[in-house]
Amino acid sequence: MIRTVKPKTAKAKRALKEKEPKLVENVKQALFVPGQTSNKLLHDAMVDLSSLKKPDMKRFDRKNEIRPFEDPAPLEFFSEKNDCSLLVLSTTSKKRRNNLTFVRTFGYKIYDMVELMIVNNYKLLEDFKAKTFAVGLKPMFSFQGSAFDTHPVYKHLKSLFLDFFRGTVTDLYDVAGLQHVISVTLQGDFQDGEPLPNVLFRVYRLRTYRSEQGGRKLPRVELQETGPRFDFKIGRIQSPSPEMEKEARRKPKQLNTKTVKNVDMDPMGDKLGRIHMGKQDLNKLQTRKMKGLKSRFDQDQEDDDVEEYINDEEEELNDGEELNDEAENSEEDTYGEEFVTAEDIDEPSTKRQKKK
Amino acid sequence: MSAEDYKNLPVTVEKSIPVNYDLGNLAVFDNNVLDKNDLDSSNASRENHIKSLTRDNVQLLVNQILSLPIKTTTESTGGSSDQGATVALLHLPEPTSELPREKPLPKPKPPTKWEKFAAKKGIQPKAKTGKMVYDEASGEWVPKWGYKGKNKNVDTQWLVEMDDNKKGTEDELVDPRSLNRTERKNLVKKNQRQQKKNLKNGLNLT
Repeated sequence: MIRTVKPKTAKAKRALKEKEPKLVENVKQALFVPGQTSNKLLHDAMVDLSSLKKPDMKRFDRKNEIRPFEDPAPLEFFSEKNDCSLLVLSTTSKKRRNNLTFVRTFGYKIYDMVELMIVNNYKLLEDFKAKTFAVGLKPMFSFQGSAFDTHPVYKHLKSLFLDFFRGTVTDLYDVAGLQHVISVTLQGDFQDGEPLPNVLFRVYRLRTYRSEQGGRKLPRVELQETGPRFDFKIGRIQSPSPEMEKEARRKPKQLNTKTVKNVDMDPMGDKLGRIHMGKQDLNKLQTRKMKGLKSRFDQDQEDDDVEEYINDEEEELNDGEELNDEAENSEEDTYGEEFVTAEDIDEPSTKRQKKK
Repeated sequence: MSAEDYKNLPVTVEKSIPVNYDLGNLAVFDNNVLDKNDLDSSNASRENHIKSLTRDNVQLLVNQILSLPIKTTTESTGGSSDQGATVALLHLPEPTSELPREKPLPKPKPPTKWEKFAAKKGIQPKAKTGKMVYDEASGEWVPKWGYKGKNKNVDTQWLVEMDDNKKGTEDELVDPRSLNRTERKNLVKKNQRQQKKNLKNGLNLT
């Protein structure tokens, strides 16, 4: 445990703040530690792996007496001191030749560990003498073998390699940055009862050629090996405790984007929205503007006028009908009165009789 | 082989089991059966097998990646020249492979004594009004505190009105300017004491 003190300078304060847990995390830093029994090959291998991880890495020069599966405390100390959550320790012994221990930490505590031993037919970067990848680019990954999805050990390895080399997580990426591929292949499919097949680690540089079949958009892809080339034999494994795994896989609630209702994207990338409207009042609908359609020429008033006009004419022509009209008018009058008695109602009928 | 020879080679790959992608991590996962003999270390054409396997998968991956929506921007290279190179940027989706976090989620700040009290009583926090305040005497906006702040306008005055509350107390004879200043300094000290206490209590909680 490292003593925490109150920062005295602004720079120290900033450095401590950078170490604090964040909602959106930065790229995991890798630390390469030579063990007490490290040798030239392991040193070279670590240099090559670290060049794949550049610039997010640190490499120690001095050997350290660490036995991670017996006492992981020194690794946890290194992890906290250097703020690195990916550690690679190199050791060799009669039992475990040319061994690289890949360690991941969570909150400066060991998360998981796996031993990968370099089998004889390795080839380093310098042996290829080929043009290599540029520093700091995101690699592409290609995993061959169904065990990477089924077997816990290979799942662990897949997660480790992705975590180790993937670089920054971004939503925008330059097409020109697609330059190298990390290929991880199983040496044959895993079968029950047989030893775990080796893992073949290869790095290729991408070369693209214009192809007639792909049209303008899709190129023909060819690969050129740049190294390093390692065949890893799997040694001891320590998987994470369930509680720590649960904690490490927790997703921050604050980053959950709210689902936006009624807005979606069509396949062409156009934004579509659905709007809900109230009931439309068709009476207030503005149609074509014309003098004849003005409200003072409205149909209802016009009807009355015309009727009266016709009635007047008919009065002269036809006496019988005129009587009926008058009777109706008189009825309307009575309804207009405030007080209606039985006598009043009878009256119009008498009137009608009188007139008849 | 020259570039001409690649013209007639296919850009599509047939796989008996379709491969899976994690485009956020630019990764492809091939679950097809691998032949043990092809990949054995005694096999002379082993490296070619691995390479062709990878090439096929990478071809599939590149086809997928290049069909993602592309955003083209002109990036100004900086400096005096107005020329900028066009950059084609891919819109990558979220990574689908679940990878462990580096550190636990950040813990929320422990509530202060006042925040606890306010929550208990249901007191809403005051709306922030900003640092500047209108000074009617001068007709200008002045800061509430700090350099030329409104809270120290008594300090520079040649004549200060006596506060009714201080009449008859022992403060009556003290210079009101220095009295105002000490009151202000005491408030700052009190606040610092409270901050320290809250910090201590917060550490005890966690």
